[in-house]
Amino acid sequence: MSWPRVAVLAAVIVAVGVGAWEAYWRVAQRYEASYRNSDGQWAEVRRRVDAREPNATVFIGSSRTQFDIDLDVWQEMTGVHGIQLALEGSNALPILTHIAEDEDFAGLLVVGITPPLVFFPGIGLRADAVQHYFDETPSQWLGNKLSYPLETRLAFYNIDTKLFTVLTRQEWWPDRPGLPWQQQEVRKIENMRRDRQADLWDRVEDDPEFNAIVTGTWQDILENLPPPPPPEVAQAAFEALLEQVAADVTRIRERGGEVVFIRPPSSDWFREFERQASPREMVWESIVGAAGAVGVHSEDYPELSGVRTPEWSHISSRDKARWTRALVGILRDRMAERGLHRPEMGS
Amino acid sequence: MLFNSLTFVAFFALVLALHNAPLPWKVKKTNLLLASYLFYAAWNPPFVILLWLSTIVDWHVAKKIFAEDRQGRRRGWVLVSILVNLGLLGYFKYGGFLLENWQGMMSAIGVTWTAPGWNIVLPVGISFYTFQTMAYSLDVYLRRAKPADSLLDFALFVTFFPQLVAGPIVRPTQLIPQFREPVRASRDQLLWGLGLITLGLFQKIVIADGALAPAADAVFGAEAAVPFSDAWLGTLAFAGQIFSDFAGYSTAAIGIALCLGFSLPDNFRFPYAAIGFSDFWRRWHISLSTWLRDYLYIPLGGNRKGWHRTQVNLMVTMLLGGLWHGAAWTFVVWGGLHGLYLGIERFIRERWGHATVASTAGFRLFLALLTYFLVNLTWVFFRARSFPQAWSMTRSMLGFGVEGSVLVLSTYLVITVLTVTIGMLAVHWYMRSRRLEEVVAKSPWWLTGLVWAGMLFLIVITQGSGDAFIYFQF
Repeated sequence: MSWPRVAVLAAVIVAVGVGAWEAYWRVAQRYEASYRNSDGQWAEVRRRVDAREPNATVFIGSSRTQFDIDLDVWQEMTGVHGIQLALEGSNALPILTHIAEDEDFAGLLVVGITPPLVFFPGIGLRADAVQHYFDETPSQWLGNKLSYPLETRLAFYNIDTKLFTVLTRQEWWPDRPGLPWQQQEVRKIENMRRDRQADLWDRVEDDPEFNAIVTGTWQDILENLPPPPPPEVAQAAFEALLEQVAADVTRIRERGGEVVFIRPPSSDWFREFERQASPREMVWESIVGAAGAVGVHSEDYPELSGVRTPEWSHISSRDKARWTRALVGILRDRMAERGLHRPEMGS
Repeated sequence: MLFNSLTFVAFFALVLALHNAPLPWKVKKTNLLLASYLFYAAWNPPFVILLWLSTIVDWHVAKKIFAEDRQGRRRGWVLVSILVNLGLLGYFKYGGFLLENWQGMMSAIGVTWTAPGWNIVLPVGISFYTFQTMAYSLDVYLRRAKPADSLLDFALFVTFFPQLVAGPIVRPTQLIPQFREPVRASRDQLLWGLGLITLGLFQKIVIADGALAPAADAVFGAEAAVPFSDAWLGTLAFAGQIFSDFAGYSTAAIGIALCLGFSLPDNFRFPYAAIGFSDFWRRWHISLSTWLRDYLYIPLGGNRKGWHRTQVNLMVTMLLGGLWHGAAWTFVVWGGLHGLYLGIERFIRERWGHATVASTAGFRLFLALLTYFLVNLTWVFFRARSFPQAWSMTRSMLGFGVEGSVLVLSTYLVITVLTVTIGMLAVHWYMRSRRLEEVVAKSPWWLTGLVWAGMLFLIVITQGSGDAFIYFQF
């Protein structure tokens, strides 16, 4: 066996194959190389909270908070580069508790509320990210650093383009009779930066077919949420949740920090669903009321609601700067009304 | 550090470069030792102390045993090694399990006692390196080997990173002599080693994690009971997953060692083509089964003390082998089932083993499939989260419908599990009496290149999730 010949042949085939795979995703599917939003990346950004007190501004919430806030605009207006800790498909309130328990944090915490998610038991989809922050091994830490150069150079190096993820979502698989509903994977809808700023992917906006896949996924997930618990159980759980929110906010304030709540916009079918499933007065007003904090609901301000949300749930990347600018201004005013002048807000 | 991680790629490239640099052999060995500590510390740095403890104790114990003629003293010294190594294992791995069972026993006799919290992190690979170092002292005690001449060689034997955390469990006589003289892989050895690493990672990343884990996780993670079809598919998926995961690790470990010029023993020989259970255990986790044979079964008397005692010895060995895998009664049952199978097989062989039908190809194929079927039943106990789940799965698999059972696998997963399982069984059957080296040597070079490229390409596009190897937890 001529091993050098074997190795050269294998290397050439792999190079051609990987090149073709990369070209397919870039050209035919319009993918761009972008950070993978890994647990390690979250942990890396999370550690900035420890190192940057007391002037940190931290964003927590679901993907809406992550997609809608423009960190550059925020910095331009406040002088502070925010720490983006929002996690897609995740409930902000357990993360609020997590930050409240961090004695190093005494800055401004911006909590994004996505109504259906506050009833999730626990953190939700990205609970592993928080666990990873506590458990990360030196090997994982280094692996994350080594992964970044690949993430920013290879479009196919993305969780949406993993071989078995791609195979799973093909439509050629027939339905299996008797199989209960199963949640489909959420497709890639963003490009992400090292600081975890996520921008809604242009393709979601200008490719109607892809847009329909994404909105179809939201609808499919929301229509198949597990049935709510009996009213008395739900009421007791919600009251406990409000108590926890109040306790967490108090704890942060005792250290000199401050907490504000925001409700990013949604539209169309998604908004209607939220109106019915988690009415504003029941969820939003209760949480903000329990916290005794400043709360900015997008629907109360034309400059916050007049933005495009191409797939009903996240602001277009073309509108996020304008939205963030307006949000900072409103937050400043609302905080000033309460006599809160925070260095993190540039005031 | 996981083999299937970018950290390892960078680490191994550096180690390989240093190992091929023009440095004295002692410096190269020191580099390997430091690299091995680094490899282990990359999980949890303080646990390197356990490696040092195990190394120092067995280094001194073996020297004392060797220098001592009085049997009582020799026994005393070997007990020190056993107590330290099993003590480490007991504390870190079985402490919580023992407390929990003690609490249960007390409660059964009416004594209410609550065990203190036992939140001890299990040091990765502790079951492997404690057995390896214990074997060193036992070999010297049993006069099978002399103590190592050099502490550096012995420390490297204990710590050698390719096989440190998930085997193969190497005997001192296999590895320590290889450290004496300078070794460096030839060009062909290096390429063969890289090929083995590719094969191992393909098994782990593509087959175990990519193709089979989703089905196994869905079935064994289901809240409700699953019906016959999904119970079987989930178990077949797990059978393929655990083989590909563990054999993948061993293959990669052998490849990594070979790239450095060292030879590690085989740990798997296509076990799903086994005809009977004694054959299965000659093919599955060979380094553990031979360890248990040499240091437990034979010292217990093996098959030299009559039929009944042989059966007891077999069962004790397999029960402890089960417990070695994890601190839970489900693992003990898994071992017990294998012990039972081995006992029954021995009984049948003694009575009907020479029947003409036993050597026909069709009957051998039938026996292989029967073995595979029975092995799958044991995997249920290995993988299940609890006994109720294991019973529920077993009932479903044996056709006793479980009320309220719910399908969990999509058509995609059904087809994937069946395709991979049939493919895996075909490969195991074809390779049953062959060696990989021979098959590759007889293949055209372009075919070998094509297969290698195919595996590598699939590894790259599967991307991998960085999941730990299943056997790390043991």
